[in-house]
Amino acid sequence: MPPALDITHLTKHYRMGHTVVRALDGVSLTVPPGEFVGLLGTSGSGKSTLLNLIAGLDSPTEGTLRVFDRDLAGMSRQELSEHRSRSVGIIFQSFNLISTMTASENVALSMMFAGVPRAEREQRAAALLESVGLGGRGHHRPKELSGGEQQRVAIARALANEPELLLADEPTGNLDSKTSGEIMSLLRRLNEERRKTVIMVTHDPALAARYAHRTVTMLDGTIVSEVIS
Amino acid sequence: MTWADTVRLAFRNLGQARVRTALTVGGVSIGIASLSGMVSLGVGLQDQLVDRFTKSGMFDSITVTAMPLGRAGGPGGRLGGRGRAAATPTPSATPAPSATPTPSATPTPSATPSPVPVKLDDEAIKKLSELPSVKAVYPMLRIGVQVKLGDYTEFTTASGVPMAAKEEGAFQSMAHGAFFASDTEDACMVSMDYAKRLADDAGTLVGKTLALSYAVSAKDASAPAGAPVAPGLPALGAAGLQLRRVETPCTIVGIVERETGPALGGASMVTGLMLPLPKARAIYNVQVTNAQSLLRDQAEARTYPSLSVKVDSTRHTQDVEDKIKAMGYSAFSLNDLLQGAKRAFILLDVVLGLIGSIALAVSLLMVVNTMIMSILERTREIGVMKAIGGSDAAIRKIFLIEASAIGFIGGVAGVALGWVLGRVINFGVNIYIERQGGTTGNLFSTPLWLVAGAIGFSILVSLAAGIFPARRAARLDPIHALRHD
Repeated sequence: MPPALDITHLTKHYRMGHTVVRALDGVSLTVPPGEFVGLLGTSGSGKSTLLNLIAGLDSPTEGTLRVFDRDLAGMSRQELSEHRSRSVGIIFQSFNLISTMTASENVALSMMFAGVPRAEREQRAAALLESVGLGGRGHHRPKELSGGEQQRVAIARALANEPELLLADEPTGNLDSKTSGEIMSLLRRLNEERRKTVIMVTHDPALAARYAHRTVTMLDGTIVSEVIS
Repeated sequence: MTWADTVRLAFRNLGQARVRTALTVGGVSIGIASLSGMVSLGVGLQDQLVDRFTKSGMFDSITVTAMPLGRAGGPGGRLGGRGRAAATPTPSATPAPSATPTPSATPTPSATPSPVPVKLDDEAIKKLSELPSVKAVYPMLRIGVQVKLGDYTEFTTASGVPMAAKEEGAFQSMAHGAFFASDTEDACMVSMDYAKRLADDAGTLVGKTLALSYAVSAKDASAPAGAPVAPGLPALGAAGLQLRRVETPCTIVGIVERETGPALGGASMVTGLMLPLPKARAIYNVQVTNAQSLLRDQAEARTYPSLSVKVDSTRHTQDVEDKIKAMGYSAFSLNDLLQGAKRAFILLDVVLGLIGSIALAVSLLMVVNTMIMSILERTREIGVMKAIGGSDAAIRKIFLIEASAIGFIGGVAGVALGWVLGRVINFGVNIYIERQGGTTGNLFSTPLWLVAGAIGFSILVSLAAGIFPARRAARLDPIHALRHD
C-alpha cells in the first residue's frame, strides 16, 4: 500500500508586493496509511500552508506532493476539486458550516458535489450524524447547535465521501477543554476504528503529544523536529 | 452535481435573501412588463387592422379582368364597357355586324385563334373555381335598371351580390333588415344613401316592393315576356329592331350602410341597389342597353367585365393571383398592400420593443448588481463549497441558475403585470372611444408566443447578466474565500 502522504522538497512562495514570502521552504515528509500526525508550530511557521497544499486548496511552487500515490502538483483545477471531494476530508477551526442549511443538509452538500443521488445522500447523512453522536439532530441549523456539536457535524461532512485522509486545522481551537477532549476522542476513534489517516494542525504541544502518533514541528517553512509519542 | 440539485440549491439561496430577491425580481418584472406591454400594443394594433381588413373581404379577393386595366381600350371603353369589347383581342375576331343574327351563321370569337384565353365567361368562372385555394368565383355585375316605387321612378345601377358576401364587409352589420335569405327569391337590398332618396325614414322601406324594368330584344325568345317599347328608341324601331320592356318585382329585405374607403374587391358590391347574383345575372344575360348589345349573337355567351375570386386564406392570395396571371388574365389584389402594412407593423413592434427594452436594460444591471452583492456576501460559503469538493463549474452553475431563476420569476410576474396594465389602459381608452362614438376593441393583444417569448427572453437576459458574477464566484481562491468574513 502506498503511503498516505509522500512529500519531497515541497516549496511554496507567495509574492506580497515586492517581497517573496517563503511559506514552505523544502519540506519532505512521508506519512504511512493509518498514522495520526500532529503538525505543530507557531503562527506563520507554514503548517497551515502545508495543510492547504495537501488538501488541494493551493498548488505548490516546487517539489512533489503525493496523496496515495496521486501527484497533486500536476493536477488541473477540476482534478483538484475532485481530490477535495473524494480523497480528503477537511475539518476547520471555525467549523465552516453553511449557516442557512441544516446539519444533515451540510453533510449532504459534499455528497451533492460528488454526484450521490438525493435519497442516498439523505440516508447516509443521517447515518453519519448518528455515528458522530448527533442522531436525531439533523434538522437543526448550526446556530441551534453548540460548538462541539457543530464540529461533529463538520466531521460528519468530512467523512461523507469516505476519504482515507482527514485534514484537521486546529479542530479544537474554538472549543472549551471538555468539548475539545470529546472531539479529539472522536478523531482518535476514527483513526483507530476506521483506519483513517489523520493530519492535525495545532499550536498546542500537549494536545499533539497526547493524541498523535507522531508530532512534526515546523518553523519558518521547514520541519525542525519529528517526535514519536 | 445534477441539474435538479443545482436548481433546488439556487431557489433555496434566493429564498434565503427574500427582500433582495423580491426587489430584483420586481425590477426585472417591470422591465419585462414594459417590453411585453409595448410589443402587445404593437400586436394588438396590427390584429385590429388586419382583422378589419380581412373582414372587409378586400384581401382574400382577387379582381380578374380580361386585359390589364390600363391597356383595355377600344370602342367598349374600360371597365364600364360590356365585356364583349374588352374580350375582343383582334378586330378580325369580331363577327361582322349583321342585321339578321342567326345562331348558325356567325362564327364565335372562341373559334378564332387567340394567343391567350381572355374571355371572362361562365367557362372562365368554372376554370378559375378549379384552382387550388379558391373558395368562390363570381362575376362582378353592374346592370342599369329603372326603379319604380309608387309614383317615384329613377334609372339606377344595380349590382349582383353572391350569398357568400353575407359575412363580408358592409353586409356584416345591416342598418335595417337582413341579408338575402336565399339567392332565388325576388329580393333586393338598397344602400342607406339610396334609401333616403326613396323615403324619409329609411327603416320603413324594409318589406316594400320595388318594380324594376329593363329592355330586351323582342326577338330574344329566352327573355321574359313584356310589353313592346313603342317610344324611346324610334331609330332602332325604324331599323327593324324591336324592343320589349320587362318588369320584375323585388322586395327590399335590407338596408346597407355604404362603406367608406377603397371600393375594391368585396367592398365594391355595395351600390344603390343590390340584387341576388343569379337574378342580376339573368337580367344581364338578356338585357339590351345599347345598339351593340342589341346586335349581338344570341347564342354567344355573354362575357363579364370582371370577376371576383375569393381565396380561402389571405396567405394564398398571392399564390392564386400569380396562377391566374399565368392563365393569361389580368389579376389584381390588395394583398401587396397588406404585406406592406405587415412589414410596417414589424418595424413598429421593433421600435416599441426597443423603447420597452430601456426598462429591461436597467433591470439587467440590477441583476448584475444583486448577483455581485450576493457573491460578496457569500464569499466564505463559496470557499466552503470549494473546500468540500465543489468544482469551478458547479459553483458557476449555481450562480447562473440563480440569475436565471430571477429572470424566470421576474418574467412570469412581468408578463402578468404587463397584461394587467394593458387591460387597464385598454379599459380607459375604450371608455374614451365609446364617448367619441368610435368602435372599441383590444388595443393590447398578448398571444401565447409573446408570453413564452417574454419569459424566455427574461431568463436569457438574466442569465447573461449572471455570467460575469458567476465567473467571478467560480474563480474565487478558496483559501482567500475561507478567510473572508
